Amino acid sequence: MTAPSDAGLVIRGLRKWYGDTRALDGLDIEARPGEILGIAGPNGAGKSTLIKILAGETRSDDGEIRLNGRPWDTASNRDRVAVVHQEPQLFPNLSVAENMMVGREGTRAQVRHLNERERALMSDLAILEFADRPLGLVPLAIQQRVEIGRALARDARIFLFDEPNSALTQEESTDLFRRMHLLANAGKVVVLVSHRIAELAAHARRVALILDGICTAVLDGDSLTQEGIASGLVTGQIDREAEEQIVVHLGGEAGSALQLTGWTHAKGEFEGINLHVRAGEIVAIVGVEGSGARELVRSIAGFEPGSGQIEIGGRRGRRSAERTSLVSADRQMSLFSNLSIGDNMVSRLSTDIASRGGTLRRGRMTQIAHDLREQFRVKADSVHLPVRSLSGGNQQKVAIAAAIVKRPEVLVLEEPTRGVDIGSKGEIYRLMRTYARDGHAVIIYCTEVSEVFEAADLAYVVSEGRLSDPLVVMNAADVKELARTITRLERHGLSGPAAIAAVPA
Amino acid sequence: MAEQSGAPSNQVPTAVGRTGQPWSGRAREAGLRLGGLAIAILVVIAIFTFLSKPNTFLTVTNGLGVMRYMSTIAIVSLGLSLVIVVGEIDLSFGYMYGLASTLTAVAWIVWGWPVYLAIILAFVVAMLVGSINAFLVTTVKIPSFIVTLGTGQLMFGTNLLVSNAATLNPSYPTGGHVVDKAQLAWFTGLSNQKLPFDFPMQGLWMIGIALIIGFILSRSLFGFRLKAIGGNPLAAELARLPIRKYKFASFIICSVFASIAAVLDFAFIGSTQPNAGLSLLFPVFAAVIIGGASLAGGRGSAIGTLSGAMLLAVISNGLALLSVGSYLSQFVGGAVTISAVVLDRFTQSLRK
Repeated sequence: MTAPSDAGLVIRGLRKWYGDTRALDGLDIEARPGEILGIAGPNGAGKSTLIKILAGETRSDDGEIRLNGRPWDTASNRDRVAVVHQEPQLFPNLSVAENMMVGREGTRAQVRHLNERERALMSDLAILEFADRPLGLVPLAIQQRVEIGRALARDARIFLFDEPNSALTQEESTDLFRRMHLLANAGKVVVLVSHRIAELAAHARRVALILDGICTAVLDGDSLTQEGIASGLVTGQIDREAEEQIVVHLGGEAGSALQLTGWTHAKGEFEGINLHVRAGEIVAIVGVEGSGARELVRSIAGFEPGSGQIEIGGRRGRRSAERTSLVSADRQMSLFSNLSIGDNMVSRLSTDIASRGGTLRRGRMTQIAHDLREQFRVKADSVHLPVRSLSGGNQQKVAIAAAIVKRPEVLVLEEPTRGVDIGSKGEIYRLMRTYARDGHAVIIYCTEVSEVFEAADLAYVVSEGRLSDPLVVMNAADVKELARTITRLERHGLSGPAAIAAVPA
Repeated sequence: MAEQSGAPSNQVPTAVGRTGQPWSGRAREAGLRLGGLAIAILVVIAIFTFLSKPNTFLTVTNGLGVMRYMSTIAIVSLGLSLVIVVGEIDLSFGYMYGLASTLTAVAWIVWGWPVYLAIILAFVVAMLVGSINAFLVTTVKIPSFIVTLGTGQLMFGTNLLVSNAATLNPSYPTGGHVVDKAQLAWFTGLSNQKLPFDFPMQGLWMIGIALIIGFILSRSLFGFRLKAIGGNPLAAELARLPIRKYKFASFIICSVFASIAAVLDFAFIGSTQPNAGLSLLFPVFAAVIIGGASLAGGRGSAIGTLSGAMLLAVISNGLALLSVGSYLSQFVGGAVTISAVVLDRFTQSLRK
């Protein structure tokens, strides 16, 4: 029991709606000075909304925020909140010193120089030697320290770290965490939002779990373990229907859809990957940002450079990519906002929608679009409406429909239900399963264990560019066990005997 | 669920458009735009009819004159509209026009080539220029604004070198050159056939080309994909659309159409000089923009571009008849272009 105290940041009943979508649903959270508060939650749980509200980028619809007992108005206190993202939000064309001073140049027209305090701060952060370099040319880790320095120079009270070290090296990460602890020791409010469970467990004093816009649990002391966080994140929201499960032919009766041998990324994100995927399987590739998992999945579709052997549906090498369709996690990259729903659905087709002479067969296009709307249950009154009129979940269905109608041998999906409502999530999993049952392979890049549990037959964990042995998802007693196993694999890097024992094939 | 099970079963059997199923979304947007343009043209005609006394404006002769005048702008801007739709820009078409005209004249008059070969030479060079533009844009990945700004100057330099900055006239060849009479008659005939109702030959060329571009943009797979690529190049790459190939085709068509307009004007006017085409930059872009194409890519139509060219031609002709001087003409051109875009934004915001 800790004594009730006003100290630090206290958030009560925070609510935020985006149109019909609920992002925060009465969130209660406290961050005390002197500690690092970790925040964990799946994509779409409301973490980024919380950060945006604290940073004054958007307003909450309801709830109160207090700092040290006094009401804290986020809009007027923007300067006193620092947000350190994976990509610093600074001015890459200005020098490091200029970035330190931006916004506090004073009123005189003449160019200001660094003052003593700024110099001292910069030397503490070990960025003084870079003062005259353009910010865009210094390493990311230094850019992040500039961001911290800027915030310290304007007396920021709250420091929010949002997945800050996804793109950093091991050493840079260690240094960043050291600085986080220093900030906390100096009495600042420090919040760390991360997908990396190991780091949360190692550095945060307490970890708040956010699910569907509320804080479901706060772990501290003995309950604060990696396994504890992992299983807390997947609490009882999943009920996998028995009829949706299919038998996995581990004996290899089904045809081979994809074969990777010694598959290596050109920029070293992954190395020496051997992977065999059979037709009819849904395979999840799991890994945090920076693990190489995303690059591996994209390379299968030919959108990241890879070397080694690749064979898809009997085609080898470069031409194998033609047998795949990729749907990006970012809908900005998968839809044509200037086209209608129907036109988006058929945008990847050629001979099906045009005569040999290249004349469009409009009737046929509409017919295909109508069929797909039925099959994918896209909620739209007409396929001729602009695609941007759809909700996020329905837009995602359109994007996946456009990829599936091409009938690829291997369907590659990146985080297929990111930012998608629960109802559409189930639909999308059903569509993936139907397509796989039709005799195709589906490969998904996942960051959420619950998605792996609901959608995949097999899961591979990527850690530091290496692939684990396969986990048979069905063999996991429940999603918590799967979460613990995946966490263990991520922690230990390469597949060890412990991993296989945990979920025997 | 209820809304899904009911509605589609009624709609599936109906084919597109023809059945009268209400077209929503983009088709309606385009319709509104064209309607607005038609009204604008009618209003401008009414104003000039009222202002010009005695009535020299609303006559058949003047109408046909307007058509000939707009044909040059229309043909070049129809070619440009493909480049705009695919999300690129071409600033070199004016110089291409000049170079094509000069090459035809020099090869024919100075080098003594048959005129047919001279014209083919111009088109081959146009295809080469289009390919160079597309190569620099797609492979070297230089923004098309910079590429075509540069190739335009390169062409102008070539033009001055080849022509020696001289005016060339096949009817009065200088320097002891001889021009075959039959070839001259054929060449002049490209733009000066005697047609029923004194219909201008260039107007006929324009209509033919507009039909081709209209087909490409609204009825062909090529046009459909051009719009997709222009609308979202990143998504087009992930969808494996043939971006490079289509950009090559667009730049080549743009250069070739500028050359067609150049040869037709040369045939009509009877002479050419190196500065020809330099004044096209504004009216051609204005026609494409007034016609509803988005400079960001993904949007544009042949009928829109044609209407844009017509509006500009009507205004320019009306002002000329009123003898208000060319200063005002420039002024009005600029104002009309900006107003068209402002109006478009306004009507779009009304519908949201």
